[in-house]
Amino acid sequence: MLSETPDNQTSDAARWARLIEAVAVRRDREAFAALFRHFAPRIKTLMQRSGASEQLADELAQEALYLVWSKASLFDAKSGGAAAWIFTIARNLRIDALRRQKRTPTGDTSETELEFQRDEGPLPDAGMLTSEIEARVRDALSVLPDEQMRVIELSFFHETAHAEIARALDIPLGTVKSRLRLAMARLRSLLDDFS
Amino acid sequence: MTVHHHPPDELLAAFAAGTIDLGQHVAIATHLVSCAKCRGAVRAMEHVGGAVLAALPPTAMSDGSFEALQRRLDEASGNSAAVRRRGRAFRDVPGLPDFLDSYPDSSWRWIAPKVHLRPIRLPEQSATRVFLLRSSPGTRMIEHTHTGFEMTCVLSGSFVHAGGWFGPGDFDFGDGAVDHDIRIDSAEDCICLVAMQGDLRLNGVIGRLLQPLIRM
Repeated sequence: MLSETPDNQTSDAARWARLIEAVAVRRDREAFAALFRHFAPRIKTLMQRSGASEQLADELAQEALYLVWSKASLFDAKSGGAAAWIFTIARNLRIDALRRQKRTPTGDTSETELEFQRDEGPLPDAGMLTSEIEARVRDALSVLPDEQMRVIELSFFHETAHAEIARALDIPLGTVKSRLRLAMARLRSLLDDFS
Repeated sequence: MTVHHHPPDELLAAFAAGTIDLGQHVAIATHLVSCAKCRGAVRAMEHVGGAVLAALPPTAMSDGSFEALQRRLDEASGNSAAVRRRGRAFRDVPGLPDFLDSYPDSSWRWIAPKVHLRPIRLPEQSATRVFLLRSSPGTRMIEHTHTGFEMTCVLSGSFVHAGGWFGPGDFDFGDGAVDHDIRIDSAEDCICLVAMQGDLRLNGVIGRLLQPLIRM
């Protein structure tokens, strides 16, 4: 299995998937604590970088891990990696939090989840194992030039992404867009090899 | 269904990152309904999101946060499959993402000869307006440009313009620089979902006369 590969990141990914499974099947508190230790502080960083206050970021990170606990049985190791799954939980929470400012208080916060539900028909990478996709994405990311990686990282934070990235990196907006486009094209070509 | 025109990659990335507004989200989600290739790209970008998240520097959680969470876990049933509320809005239009069916429904209204519009009212403020546009065969859309951008997803029928032929599933992204001169070339009505920011500017004398009537 994956855990036998010497690559630390690969074994991390496999370990996280096992931890989530342990939470789903056995309601394993220790497994949950391990997930909390790794992901809660990083989700907090993500939220703060997205503009949340320290307190809100802390609450959202707790809420994200609460959802990891209560939705663990919905995690499908075959269709998504553990980190990607937790990322989508955090992403949806962040969108919900932003919306609470815009929507009426009766607004249903489970909307975001529905809005991201995709009818997963046959995918071009059907048959490709999640671990392979993860490895591909990781390989692709690791060979991206720093400047493109920086733009990708920042693009995962702000609603006004491109303009803010341009300001943060002190480069023109057009450069942000072209770097992102280059990075995406590269990622896509690596994944397309499989389809 | 063979899809020929896709959203630009950076738009798919922004969709996966959750950084676009709801109006644009609706347009991308509509394209994803009929495009497996882009569903794959979005999934790949979610893996990128996971990789980015896992590698972020940690920020210490507040004291007692884990203990507080533990108490909540005792009360959680551990069985919270997403409940799907199904409404009926827009169910008569094929090719739209499911979540629109809980939005307020609306009806078609005439906006120009052979062209009808049906607004999609979003449950939150969005700088992007979304509507369905139904055009009869042979319709030539008035030549126009816009001040913002326009995303068009073809649901049925087809149209052509200088950028190519657009059939069901195709996604047309136009920014302010684009001059549209669209002709509906299908034998049946062409229904599209449009997400738009900014204002249309109709070109030509007739267009300028119609402008006040066709505020989309």
